[in-house]
Amino acid sequence: MKSEMGKMRNTDISVAITGSGGSGAVTAGLILLDAAARTGLYGLMMRSYGPQIRGGESASLLRLSSGPVACMNDQVDLLVGLDWRNAGRFAQEIPLVAESLIMTDPAAGAVPRSFATSGANVSELAFEAHARRVENGRLNMVAVGAAAAFCGLPQGAIDAALQKTLASKGRKLIESAAACVAIGYELATELGDPERDLPTKPAERWNISGNEACGLGGLRGGVRFVAAYPITPASDMLEWLAPRLEQLGGSLVQAEDELASINMVVGASYGGIPSLTATSGPGFSLMQEGLGLAVASETPVVVINVTRGGPSTGIPTKSEQSDLNIALNGMHGDAPHLVLAPLNVPDCAFTTQWAVRLAEHLQTAAIVLSDQSLGQAQAVTDPHGEREILLERVTERSPTEEYRRYTLSGDDISPMTLPGIAQGMYTADGLEHDELGIPSSKAEDHHRQLAKRRDKIEAFDFGSDWAEVRGDGALCLICWGSVSGAVLEAAERLEGEGLSVRVIAMRLLAPLRRDALRQALVGVERIWVVEQNHSGQLYHYLVSRGVLPDDAKVLAKPGPVPLRPGEIVNAIAEKE
Amino acid sequence: MTTVALKAKDYKSGVKPIWCPGCGHFAVLAAITRALAYLELPKEQVALISGIGCSSRLPAYVDSFGFHGLHGRALPLATGLKAARPELNVLVAGGDGDGFSIGGNHFLHACRRNIDLTYIAMDNRVYGMTKGQASPTTAPDWAESKLTPHGTGVRRFQPAAIALAAGATFIARGYSGDPKGLTRMLVEAITHPGFSFLHVLSPCITFRPEQRSWKTEVHPFAAGPYDEPVEAAREIQADDGLGLGILYAEHLPVWPPHYQPSGTLAEVEREFLI
Amino acid sequence: MSNVLAGEISSLAEFLAHALEMEVESAERYAELADNMEVHNNLQVAMLFRRLAVEGDAHAEQVTRRCATVELPNIAPWAFKWSSPDGPESPAMEDLHYLMSRRQALELALHNEVRGLAFYAEVADRSPNPKVRQLAGEMAREEDAHVAMLKSWLSREYDDGTAPLGDLDPPNMPE
Repeated sequence: MKSEMGKMRNTDISVAITGSGGSGAVTAGLILLDAAARTGLYGLMMRSYGPQIRGGESASLLRLSSGPVACMNDQVDLLVGLDWRNAGRFAQEIPLVAESLIMTDPAAGAVPRSFATSGANVSELAFEAHARRVENGRLNMVAVGAAAAFCGLPQGAIDAALQKTLASKGRKLIESAAACVAIGYELATELGDPERDLPTKPAERWNISGNEACGLGGLRGGVRFVAAYPITPASDMLEWLAPRLEQLGGSLVQAEDELASINMVVGASYGGIPSLTATSGPGFSLMQEGLGLAVASETPVVVINVTRGGPSTGIPTKSEQSDLNIALNGMHGDAPHLVLAPLNVPDCAFTTQWAVRLAEHLQTAAIVLSDQSLGQAQAVTDPHGEREILLERVTERSPTEEYRRYTLSGDDISPMTLPGIAQGMYTADGLEHDELGIPSSKAEDHHRQLAKRRDKIEAFDFGSDWAEVRGDGALCLICWGSVSGAVLEAAERLEGEGLSVRVIAMRLLAPLRRDALRQALVGVERIWVVEQNHSGQLYHYLVSRGVLPDDAKVLAKPGPVPLRPGEIVNAIAEKE
Repeated sequence: MTTVALKAKDYKSGVKPIWCPGCGHFAVLAAITRALAYLELPKEQVALISGIGCSSRLPAYVDSFGFHGLHGRALPLATGLKAARPELNVLVAGGDGDGFSIGGNHFLHACRRNIDLTYIAMDNRVYGMTKGQASPTTAPDWAESKLTPHGTGVRRFQPAAIALAAGATFIARGYSGDPKGLTRMLVEAITHPGFSFLHVLSPCITFRPEQRSWKTEVHPFAAGPYDEPVEAAREIQADDGLGLGILYAEHLPVWPPHYQPSGTLAEVEREFLI
Repeated sequence: MSNVLAGEISSLAEFLAHALEMEVESAERYAELADNMEVHNNLQVAMLFRRLAVEGDAHAEQVTRRCATVELPNIAPWAFKWSSPDGPESPAMEDLHYLMSRRQALELALHNEVRGLAFYAEVADRSPNPKVRQLAGEMAREEDAHVAMLKSWLSREYDDGTAPLGDLDPPNMPE
């Protein structure tokens, strides 16, 4: 059965634009993405850059398609070099083949060997010389015109995109830019008509990043307090949230460090306000003690970890899925909690919203593992409406004298009072406690409260959202998080080669739904776990929980370069 | 809600303190309950937040909401609660180790923020809960701890001076052996709009029995309260660590400012439309 | 005997407010001390303090009855006119030790009861209001009886002159 995505993928173009010293490679990419969206295409754009804060070399990497895009393709069809200074740094992220096209400005010098060796066609277009013909003309705008022509995008769409993207720069600059774009289109006519199959009718689309989607999910989940410390690549989520929280009557506090952040959100949540924080690996390490406090005191809290290359300071600007271990086991003691991971950019909204609702209802800590490739990817998607999630914080508003904050009852979710509720006073504690919350070192109190905190989570019915299960077959690919996009596309291609493939893309990683997973593996004979880390963290987790047969395989590739569908297909096909 | 005025005793939770007989913290607990009764604060509107240590046991002994949190992290815990629920009366209690060692960074920023809460730091110049190690306020030559047998050799942390430098708008020092003065300072601290730092000398009978001598050594500040930091700095820099009274009180805008909601979630979602 | 009174008490209502506060605080304090001593397993002293708390409750009850027809002023906790940090009859927490003997506890109680007596005596002597002086005098005589009681308890304490045994165990680390 061919998936919907394969049917729709008539147009599938990957473009890379590199430049340095303020040449505007990123702006160029954003304009192309926006224009593609107006044409009814879907898209995904990532950025790559050097260590400089300004003036460094940067690259926009785009994939535009008539179907939804959740990963980068195996190769780049068009590479536009605004200039070639230090562009070699991006070679690994811009895989070219003989059929690819490189647009180069002769004034910028020779195409670097790392790109030239691909055997790609080279087209010389004098971006800079042509830009100088226009007052305030910029060479990146000429390149935008040429690239848009290659993609088959109508000039009207580019003009509209210019209006939006350059709105703050003033009318004069927009006019100059439009003039340069027109020149670019002219230059590209030499290359012939690309004959692209574009949608006949543009539909409503969203242009949203993974970080923004997580923020939106948080707001939809009811979050009205955030405390956080800036860290790459989570800072944009916090910057997006700050004014919008205020708009909705909430607030964001910039904390002095991550230790303060996690404790602030625990405090705010204790006060009854759904709260979250966002960070990345190093900050997440600092938060472990605070997460444990939330678990032990049964205070809801959500931490979004936008993971990056690790360990330690690692590779701050690149993606990796190597924080599964710490998310599962970072707290000392036996501290059952929730770990979730969105599967693609739109899913960041649903997964975060779900995490907030689950944390509120189950009175525990929920960790959301996003990553840099989702967080900082700009995606053109269908608008994702809010799904209603009816999970509330169980609150005791009229406590009697018999009220016990940590009472042991049927579903182990003991109603919370909140500051302000008369007769509801209790002192929350990280110390082990009895049903009243009084610190206790007695065996029966410890055993009972441990069981309570575990059972309330284990016994909960998470429903079918624990994973996306697609397809049917003897071969099964198991994945989580951002890698799911490439895995699903790889599965399509394997099906195209005659194999039957099932994909289990896991959204809920803890607690592990063993029965559901076993059910999903019925009829499966060969399993591959695919993940973007060095040690095979998901693979070992599943092995340790006894849900994988001995001959299950793992494709574990660490960052900084994303996994591509082709390499997944090759790895599997070799062994099939 | 009842209109019968509560007495200090009514604010006690009934849980029996485990502090050693002779501990200064009893007087601090008494002063807190007296201040709450004097101010007629409804119990359910009071939240007492603490970290780890002998001083941090205090919330369990008061009949109010509370959170016994992580070592050194009472101030951010309290800050989050107050920022989310500004109508609550939030008090923070902790010791010199909790507040000035592991909690030192949070102390600086809490002083800067001027959030409306009261921080009561009970200072006995030792780590009582963990068997008597030197704390940041211990003199460099105190050699009674096995962990630092020659003494720390490090100069004392000056809580009041640092609070002043960090921008706290209310700074006072009390003494457990002066309950009247302490209660009064506590009332002023709680009513002060903004961050109030109340440094309390509270002897540890078990590990620092010699602190009994504070009884005869404490003295009022030469002047105060100051509302101008340069003058206050002169006073506190000359202080021998045993000056009592309200050192500094200034009125500045309370943080965080609260904004009225001005939009809807639907409006936020529309921003993503192309 | 040092000066326990730190200001002039001229109205009956003010005097009764002081007396009530003194007795109530003292009774509550002994109850606290008793709890504390129980928690620290010095049961001998705990029982003594418990008994003193009960006595204190009775004294407080007596004073409360005297206040029945009087509207008491609302005095701020720091504004009571005794020179001691706490009420004169309240033992200071800092004077305790977990290994203290019954004799030491009684000496502490006696010391504070004598201060209470001194307070009433000074008011009886120095208040400008004759009604206050009279009432204070009566209450001083009642205190006399309390003091005598404690002295007799003390005299019955056996003291062989040896110093109390120290605690052989090192301190604990509960957290």
